[in-house]
Amino acid sequence: MPQARKVALVSGGSRGLGAELVSGFLDRHYRVATLSRTKTTFITNTLRARKDRHFHWGAVDGRDHEALRAFVKEVGARLGRIDVLVNNVGIAMEGILPTMRTRDIVEAVEVNLTAALVLAQACSRFMLRQGSGCIVNISSVHAIRGHAGVAVYSATKAALDGLTRSLARELGPRQIRVNSVAPGYFDSDMVRDMAEEQKRRIARRTPLGRLARIDEVANAVHFLASEQASFITGQTLVVDGGITC
Amino acid sequence: MLTAPTLAQIESIVHGRIRAVLAERAGEVARLSGTDKLSATLGLSSLDLAFLVAELEAELGVDPFAKLVSITSVRSVGDLVRAYQQALFPELQRSGEDDAMATAVNRAQTRRARRKGR
Repeated sequence: MPQARKVALVSGGSRGLGAELVSGFLDRHYRVATLSRTKTTFITNTLRARKDRHFHWGAVDGRDHEALRAFVKEVGARLGRIDVLVNNVGIAMEGILPTMRTRDIVEAVEVNLTAALVLAQACSRFMLRQGSGCIVNISSVHAIRGHAGVAVYSATKAALDGLTRSLARELGPRQIRVNSVAPGYFDSDMVRDMAEEQKRRIARRTPLGRLARIDEVANAVHFLASEQASFITGQTLVVDGGITC
Repeated sequence: MLTAPTLAQIESIVHGRIRAVLAERAGEVARLSGTDKLSATLGLSSLDLAFLVAELEAELGVDPFAKLVSITSVRSVGDLVRAYQQALFPELQRSGEDDAMATAVNRAQTRRARRKGR
């Protein structure tokens, strides 16, 4: 009997890195579930292309904890298991802390950190029962190096790395691996809004002399989710062209 | 479960799940008692307990530790059984609260009576 396809849940899979990850997991013969606030063209097209049971999308706001838990339960009931969770959903909160609105700080923490905690908790229930699983948290180079104007974003991403290390210790005995991928600058919303000169400056400071392609970041996630990374847990894989080295 | 389990069935299911976890490492397991301490007597770790909670949620359809009860208050097999019984029969929780209130009122009345008698 052929082995059942594995199931990957990617939060924030409607565009950018999340959409790249969704496509990558589908190409690797996973069944994929993703959540986002709105249905993008990517989601519509993927749903149309995958009329089978291999792709599932839910309209969920990352700040709604009950909706996140309900979505995980729905995915578990529908697809039977959850093998991989990628905590990708996040918002770029720019601005220096002294002048930032409290509600923006709270929103960044809710979406970038609390949503990841809630999803990891809910998915780990399935993984505990299976005796296997893999969680990948999308962190950032801003968790590793300080930069002006991203204090709140940095704090949430550094917290994700802390979560990675402790959760790896908590869940390791049940063969559940937890890792982070910390991307440098790649084609994301944060980079798209940058001035061309700023992008050139980043490229000059990067040993590999350029910004990352989105697939180069996704590949690191796919590696950590794969059997090739079967003895790697509690680690942060930095994918930044060497800018933090 | 399609129909709501009875209190005795809940106890039996919880005991069964605990025995299954213990059997994984020690083979056949003797009968459990409600006073057995999950950690001190049975040697269950917090991760074992998390596994049990996940299994029991799948079987009974409830997770008492999501909102009702703190997992840190569960020390014995009986505590775990009661947590599920109260989650599935909320009236038990209320009657427990009523009992506690009645006990507190009795204690206060006794104290007052003693003070008057002095």
